[in-house]
Amino acid sequence: MPSIIPALQWIEGLAWTTAIRESNWGHPIIETAHVASTVFFAGLVIVMDLRLVGVAFTDAPLTQIQRRLFPWQMSGLVPSMATGLLLCIVDPLHYYGNVFFWAKLSLLALAGINALAFHWTTYRTAGRWGEDPKGAATARRAGAVSLLLWFSVIVSGRLIAYNWFN
Amino acid sequence: MKTKTILVLLAAGALWAVQPVQAHHAFAAEYDSKKPVTLQGTLTKMEWVNPHGWIYMETKQPDGTTKKWTVETSGPNQMSRRGLKKTDFTAGMAVTVKGYQGIKDPGLANGRTLVLADGRSFYIGSVGGPNDGADR
Repeated sequence: MPSIIPALQWIEGLAWTTAIRESNWGHPIIETAHVASTVFFAGLVIVMDLRLVGVAFTDAPLTQIQRRLFPWQMSGLVPSMATGLLLCIVDPLHYYGNVFFWAKLSLLALAGINALAFHWTTYRTAGRWGEDPKGAATARRAGAVSLLLWFSVIVSGRLIAYNWFN
Repeated sequence: MKTKTILVLLAAGALWAVQPVQAHHAFAAEYDSKKPVTLQGTLTKMEWVNPHGWIYMETKQPDGTTKKWTVETSGPNQMSRRGLKKTDFTAGMAVTVKGYQGIKDPGLANGRTLVLADGRSFYIGSVGGPNDGADR
């Protein structure tokens, strides 16, 4: 299988990736925006998941919380992913060799799959059980898995900064 | 699952996650503050990048062999504020670096002071290093 390294080297050599990578302000601003939007997104996901597992906000129907939170969650997720992509694309070889980066991407994919699976299956019937604080068992599981996965995404994202395995 | 159990698990998880980020840059996890080094040699390459720069250099050992060093510096913003520019670095130039040696990698160092061939001296340290006055 051909190596991806030459392609990453080409990306690293581009004028705009170099400019951001070597910037005084560009990189710090992008990284700060990434943290801020991620925090915003994660906080709202945690609210949703706490309702799913039946621990908090149980006096409100699940569908009401989901409907209200979703646009705000997306307004955090979109800039988070955009800035995240920007951060790794300007220094591709560094992230390619970082085990925490790959852990974070894998966990991110799993978190996305968990969310989509829940929305396309269990959530469809939320009209029936959504007002019950305890909800459905599959919903509680989805919420618990979501909490664990997003938490792990955040932790592995922070650990990227450490060269423990390089 | 009981409410209390979930909250306790979340709290425990949060406390566990705080451990690695405590020292911000975990200088102590990678570098030995009891092993200061002074490296006089030639510059191979300077990576003027965020969030940390990297000085690749070679020193001559007493037995004539050359030793390769990788020195971690602060980022472009911090170094610019101290008066350094990317153009101050050219491959092959003489450099002197003072810093602290890596714990697991003896060819790694956390840079604190850089002295260029023209005698100019700069603080290139990152947050979390020992209180040795190099930043004054």
